[in-house]
Amino acid sequence: MNSLCPVMSFVPFIAPMQSVVEFDNVGLRYGTGVETLTDLSFTLYPGSFYFLTGASGAGKTSLLKLLYLAHRPSRGAIRMFGHDAITLPRSRLPGFRRRIGVVFQDFRLVAHLSTFDNIALPLRIAGIQEKDLRGPVTEMLAWIGLTERADARPATLSGGEQQRIAIARAVIGRPEMLVADEPTGNVDPEMARRLLQLFAALNKLGTTVVVATHDIHLLQEIEGAQMMRLDKGRLSDPTGSLRHPPRPLVLKN
Amino acid sequence: MLLDFVLPAHDRKLIPEGRLSGQMPWVIAIMLFLTLLVAAGALTLTEAARQGGQDLARQVTVQIIESDPAQRAAQRAAVTRTLRNMDSVAEVRPVPDTQVRALLEPWLGTGVIDADVPVPALVDVRFGSVPTAKTLTRLQSTLRSVAPNIRVDSHSSWMAPFFELMRALIWLAAVVFLLLLVATSAVVILAVRSTLNTHRETIEIMHMMGGTDLQAARLFQRRVALDALLGGVVGFIVAAVVIVSVGERFAAVEPGLLSGAHFPYYGWAILALIPLAVMALAMLMARMTVISALKRIL
Repeated sequence: MNSLCPVMSFVPFIAPMQSVVEFDNVGLRYGTGVETLTDLSFTLYPGSFYFLTGASGAGKTSLLKLLYLAHRPSRGAIRMFGHDAITLPRSRLPGFRRRIGVVFQDFRLVAHLSTFDNIALPLRIAGIQEKDLRGPVTEMLAWIGLTERADARPATLSGGEQQRIAIARAVIGRPEMLVADEPTGNVDPEMARRLLQLFAALNKLGTTVVVATHDIHLLQEIEGAQMMRLDKGRLSDPTGSLRHPPRPLVLKN
Repeated sequence: MLLDFVLPAHDRKLIPEGRLSGQMPWVIAIMLFLTLLVAAGALTLTEAARQGGQDLARQVTVQIIESDPAQRAAQRAAVTRTLRNMDSVAEVRPVPDTQVRALLEPWLGTGVIDADVPVPALVDVRFGSVPTAKTLTRLQSTLRSVAPNIRVDSHSSWMAPFFELMRALIWLAAVVFLLLLVATSAVVILAVRSTLNTHRETIEIMHMMGGTDLQAARLFQRRVALDALLGGVVGFIVAAVVIVSVGERFAAVEPGLLSGAHFPYYGWAILALIPLAVMALAMLMARMTVISALKRIL
């Protein structure tokens, strides 16, 4: 692992083998339509790395939305960080969301904020003082290669640069769980590898990582990563790995 | 809530602030201008009613109805003496006959009234304090011992319709004032909803990163507070110019019914509080609108 990775200086925070997320027979239906997700039952452990694959329309983004608490399921039970996420009062959701980093497929950067301010946003929302966030954000800017573009607005940046900012914003707060929807779709292979290194570094420190992707090459990049495959809203688990605690990860060189 | 007006610079960047560039400050300035004029009118009427009412309520006129001019003059002198001996009476002024005739001339015609026309003698009386009905009854019975045919007219009774009109106008002004405040609140709510729609994406991103409803509400509160403050200052300055210039014209009017109508000095303090109250109201409306809108999303 590259020693410049900004998350390497962070301290691990999750006790081993306590589940981060547990889905039990979860179903999701939008309005009165058919179920988008059906009978999902799985457990995600701290320190695990998961790739979520499936064809377009299989329900990957919907599953990620349940994971980052943008939706509540139509049925079933979800436990998150040891709490029942279904009955969790709305007022407590912000506290849980701060423990989850999200990389959106469409980046969702704040258009009128600079690169620096976009990356610093989660820290500012969490109430981190300016003097304490300037260092980590500057370090993160260097890691994603955008130090020179710190003052640029998203509209003036390429798709790949915007994606790197979205990833930096998701990981800057040292989340306990990182959820990424096609995080390397707009970057070149070298940058994709660097970003995966960032995810792997976070993962080594205890962050549970869930990456939804179409890119089968990514699946081979991280040894020990587990695969969740969605097919028409149902989870197929050919290896059975999700039922067992994860193996230690090794990033292939 | 007013402390939420103070936000760090980086938080302020999340919802760009217009500084009089949008429509809202100008709409608030117009609403406040109208509100302040109505409030100034209500304060002036209240002051005029208070002062005029107190003066008139202390005054009565004693009519001595006697056809014989000599007896009428003797009774007037006796009534005047009796009144001057009363402790509760502050001032007694027998109205000269020439003045009484002049009062009747518009109805009877010039030169018609001579010594043979039985015109009542009048005595104006001013009490030290507002007399009660019992005091007036006692006064009437005392005076009847020196002049059997007298009538005591309280000025407040014949001015009552005028003061009722003033009271009605004050109530009307209060209702218009409240309606303007309701309209201002509605303007703020519409403006906040519009801003919320414009910045929905930013708010949703903050929300997904663990931003609380109050954090989002504070951003809008500050923006709305600034708009309301700027609009309030503009509205207050224009209203103050109008109030001062109208006040100068009132001062130039002949003394009469409008003599008590002037804008009281304490009124300026009340008017200055109105823009601040509107700012607080706008912040409250913004907070409630944003929190209610955010509650619809998880």
